[in-house]
Amino acid sequence: MNISLKLNGKDISADVEPRTSLADFLRSPEHGCTSIHLGCEHGVCGACTILIDGRISRSCIALAVAADGCDVTTFEGLNDDELITQLKDSFHQNHGLQCGFCTPAMLISAREIINQNPDLDEASVRFAMSGNICRCTGYSGIVAAITEVAKNRK
Amino acid sequence: MEKNESGVDEKNRQQPFRGIGARINRNEDARFLDGKGEYLADLNIPGTQEVAFSRSPVAHGRILSIEIPEEFRSQVFLMSDLGNIKPVRAVLNHPDFRVSDFPAMATDVVRFVGEAIAMCVAPTRAEAEDVAQSIFVDFEELPVVVDTLESAGGRTEIIHEGWPNNTVFISKPGNGDIDAVAKKADVIISRELRMNRQCVVSLEGRGVLAYQDRRLQELVVYSSTQQPHIIRTILAKLIGVDEHKMRVVAPDIGGAFGVKNNLQQEEVAIAALAKIVDFPVRWIEDRREHLIASAQAREHHYSMKLYADKNGRILGLDAEVIVDAGAYSIWPWSCAMECNMVVGVLPGPYKMEAYRGKGITVLSNKPPLGPYRGVGRPGACFAMERLIDELAREVGREPHEIRIENMVEPDQMPFTTIAGKLYDSGNFPQSVRKCAEMINVESFRERQKLNAKNGIHIGLGWASYVEQTAHGTNEWLSRNLSEIFGYESATARFTPDGNLILEVAIHNHGQGLETTLAQVAATELGVDPTNVVIRYGDTAVSPYGLGTFASRSMVMAGGAVGKATEELAEKVKRIGAHILETTFDSVLLRDGMVVSGERSVPFSEICRVAYRHAQDLPPNEEPGLTATVAYQPESGTGAFSYATHAAEVLVDTNSGLVKIDDYVVVHDCGTIVNPMVVEGQIQGGLAQGIGNALYEESPYDSNGQPLASTFLDYLLPGFTEVPTARIEHIESPSPFTRYGVKGMGEGGAIGAPAAVVNAINDALKNTGVEINETPVSPRRILTAIQRAASTSDSNEGNNL
Repeated sequence: MNISLKLNGKDISADVEPRTSLADFLRSPEHGCTSIHLGCEHGVCGACTILIDGRISRSCIALAVAADGCDVTTFEGLNDDELITQLKDSFHQNHGLQCGFCTPAMLISAREIINQNPDLDEASVRFAMSGNICRCTGYSGIVAAITEVAKNRK
Repeated sequence: MEKNESGVDEKNRQQPFRGIGARINRNEDARFLDGKGEYLADLNIPGTQEVAFSRSPVAHGRILSIEIPEEFRSQVFLMSDLGNIKPVRAVLNHPDFRVSDFPAMATDVVRFVGEAIAMCVAPTRAEAEDVAQSIFVDFEELPVVVDTLESAGGRTEIIHEGWPNNTVFISKPGNGDIDAVAKKADVIISRELRMNRQCVVSLEGRGVLAYQDRRLQELVVYSSTQQPHIIRTILAKLIGVDEHKMRVVAPDIGGAFGVKNNLQQEEVAIAALAKIVDFPVRWIEDRREHLIASAQAREHHYSMKLYADKNGRILGLDAEVIVDAGAYSIWPWSCAMECNMVVGVLPGPYKMEAYRGKGITVLSNKPPLGPYRGVGRPGACFAMERLIDELAREVGREPHEIRIENMVEPDQMPFTTIAGKLYDSGNFPQSVRKCAEMINVESFRERQKLNAKNGIHIGLGWASYVEQTAHGTNEWLSRNLSEIFGYESATARFTPDGNLILEVAIHNHGQGLETTLAQVAATELGVDPTNVVIRYGDTAVSPYGLGTFASRSMVMAGGAVGKATEELAEKVKRIGAHILETTFDSVLLRDGMVVSGERSVPFSEICRVAYRHAQDLPPNEEPGLTATVAYQPESGTGAFSYATHAAEVLVDTNSGLVKIDDYVVVHDCGTIVNPMVVEGQIQGGLAQGIGNALYEESPYDSNGQPLASTFLDYLLPGFTEVPTARIEHIESPSPFTRYGVKGMGEGGAIGAPAAVVNAINDALKNTGVEINETPVSPRRILTAIQRAASTSDSNEGNNL
């Protein structure tokens, strides 16, 4: 099927199989969005998180054909985002990552929850982030990093 | 020269100090924070074909026929299509160890659900899965062995032809007269405990990509592995390629935790396939494959008797442990590793007169057991520490007091345990005392008295353990392992412009080694650690070494980097003194310069001379600035970290849910290289230990079918389940290692199951409930409460 969408600000069109997941489509060498990581491919771990029409979504359980006409932003498209830059620095300062596999998706989810409501404390960060799994850090560095950025933006 | 405790030249330290001991942020963060880590599935090698494995749907069966549709025949590869590939054979060098072969893909009999049978190749994974779906395998189903105790009791089908039963190995460590102890004991704490089977779950699954490099005439194997050099050695042997014509590369790894610390059947199959096809082939493990077909962990059964006097002084321990190791032995550990570790470390930090351990490894029709963070010790700690808490209850004392009184004292170090381990250093009781202060036990007990309302109970649980790390040559020999992992190597190399590269054989996948090894180099050479490049994970870029596992890399590779950079420091000083026309003793290294009083010469100048203008070198000095060394600790018996954990939990007896309210860790891993990294490892291990205690389980039904094959039925601890621990350090440098460093990657996972389950039992102590099985799920809590209620009802009935 032919689809057209906006990917990281650029208009693209492609011929995709109906069964191809959006994650596989975006990760393919042609589009190269390898910041999307596949941890479960059934929508639980959150490592494939991207933005579809500005809202966080799991690209592993979305079909590429369903993104026809959408505005898709992956972590690659958030390089110049001010909040992402602050979060990256805070993750670095607070040891919010170890192996790095869950990290781009964590940053996208963190950006979303702060944008929705910067009035976050540790408990609300934990609750709002609970759709993303990290197997390395035990979460404490991530929670500290996000809480700190939210506090500084208030 | 002034030297500090760790023997490091104080004057080499730059301001602000960023060498060993400094809390500095990680060098490796940048690429991951930019989303530019390069994991196996991200490799983009033109022409790569993707592989899907056709795997067994039955737990035990004889393959009668394999039908492949003609249209796909050229895309399907069975073991017989791959030429002469040897089966994997992992052995212990002990006459009693029973040997079994584990072929890369099954040829005649399958022994667990998920065992590979065929490789299906196509341009995309989806198409490869289509091919896999089209294959029809006819099985003669065989009786399935699922129950560990039945298998151990010899009441089941035999899994490997020709064996008399399913027992692989029995290990019997111990010392002292347990019968004499039993006679004089005032108190006997006797319990059956169980730590159920679980999966490892790295967030990135396993994966392998292989191709022939035409120019170098070598087979290149990319694998998500913790030990690329070792994998090259064994792969070369199994698939019949000379080792110097093979290169193994481990790119960025999205978590490993042990599951990538053994030879994988898929590595053998993919490498063998790449030998016979003329395009790159790649397999990426999906989550279902990871949960059912990668090496699994735990599945321990304990029958324990702890003997003590009436004050709670431990006299002896009698323990029989049965570990269900699944269907095969994985290489190189063998399936007996887990159980042997358990019975080797059961006595923990405690002194006792007698110990009788019996560790029985049995097989079943489940995936093979492999290493997972802690290896054996989370179970051993859980079983022993449960008994200690019960002992305290029995003699009417606080559990932490019992621990303090029974622990090896600091003035007894080095101490040989009743099981034969040599503890190198430490102050075990101090870790308990500090923990008790942080928790404030008295105030907790007051709150506990007030709190049992509306079915909500609070409890306090303890766990103390000793974590053997950096196992050396003696340790691996005593375990009868086929490979001896007692050293590590490193090359330190200045580039001609004066910058430093370290080439190491370990791997880094979260541990922060791109930072901490640079801190070692900074300590020796006075260079900026943020400007040191660490190269690893590639047999083509470093000297041979053994990999990252068993909490060994900081001790072993850190020691090697220290030794290599010390050698370079000497040479840099000799050249610098010559250029400055002064003596060797009057120069020191600081901020990337050789300094003598007010005068200095930068490393770039030293390197210009060393590499490009040898005429300016001191007489008899060789050109170049490279050092390659191997390092092994002074004793091959290991460096022992230890800790005490205390957990405060809230148990809701209405729902069976457990919430961890507070968690305290007092930890000693010798000299700390970077406190931030150490605390990150403790906290991360703790999360996995909490998973082990409360959530993670891989159950099998009576047909050997896995019941947890997605993250909906295999539960991982998330943001709301893992509290931020309060962590304090004690530093007792190891006398056996360079800088006094001890390993510490596994401790968090070792202590948590015991501390959390002890806390749950403390919370429920007045309800007649005792739970000695992990994970303590809501179902297990509610079942135990119902059972306790019906027992007390029937007791009442009898009394009437």
